[in-house]
Amino acid sequence: MIFVTGPLYAGKREWVRRALGLSGEELTARAVWDVQELAARCEDLPALARELEQKEIVIATEVGGGVVPVDPAERLARERAGRLSCLLAQRARVVVRVCCGLPQVLKGELPCAST
Amino acid sequence: MLYLITGGAGSGKSAWAEELVCRLPGQRIYLATMRPWDGECRARIARHRAQRAGRDFITLERYTDLAGVAPQIPEGANVLLECMGNLVANELYSPEGGGEGAVLAGVEALERRCAHLTVVTNQVFSGGADYSWETLDYLRALARIDRALAARAGCVVEVVCGLPNVWKGACP
Repeated sequence: MIFVTGPLYAGKREWVRRALGLSGEELTARAVWDVQELAARCEDLPALARELEQKEIVIATEVGGGVVPVDPAERLARERAGRLSCLLAQRARVVVRVCCGLPQVLKGELPCAST
Repeated sequence: MLYLITGGAGSGKSAWAEELVCRLPGQRIYLATMRPWDGECRARIARHRAQRAGRDFITLERYTDLAGVAPQIPEGANVLLECMGNLVANELYSPEGGGEGAVLAGVEALERRCAHLTVVTNQVFSGGADYSWETLDYLRALARIDRALAARAGCVVEVVCGLPNVWKGACP
């Protein structure tokens, strides 16, 4: 599994499509994105990580870089999103962070030469 | 050559970008895009001016329409544009603003004019998406511009705690 993370609107999905040469339909079939939203509603993050791992590509948006939210549910949601990302990164063969449309490999090696 | 420097609030990106520009050849021009709205803005401007003092920068203030200021910039200059977050807000929301297109047209005009163009932008995309639609529109516009500039830039650096994390190219 390739785990791709990065800030909001960083071009994560676009980068995956280009790097792996996928059409929009192929991306839909082989990837799952916005998994931080799944984490927000999830009581069992390890189980969610195992389930997501079945996909070839898992994409999460970083949400933990702002001020701690006043609302307890929002606090919990972003905490869970961060924890889920850690679990996914542990399980992933490759971890890439995308910023401004550019990749940075945090773990493993890119599946092909197109960086 | 185009350099894109990003980083969060207080990351040291401005100081790092200034040091970068001081290592590059050509007349140094500081192109300031922040409108001095209030005391806090003026204090920030004063802090940045003090930071640049003695480093031979010519300061130009321009809040919109960078293409219009390009002819005032000497050919082959070494320009530091700070910052994209303000410029995008000015182009999108001020009455004389020309929208997202004016931002990119302005950067292109500057690139044609100068030898080195260093653009400082703001990493404001890691604090969730729980914003009003107006704010999300602004974030999407800024992100599109960041991605367009990063695609064209020879060097892209994220400054973290004052240290460079190089995303593309090599730091001179």
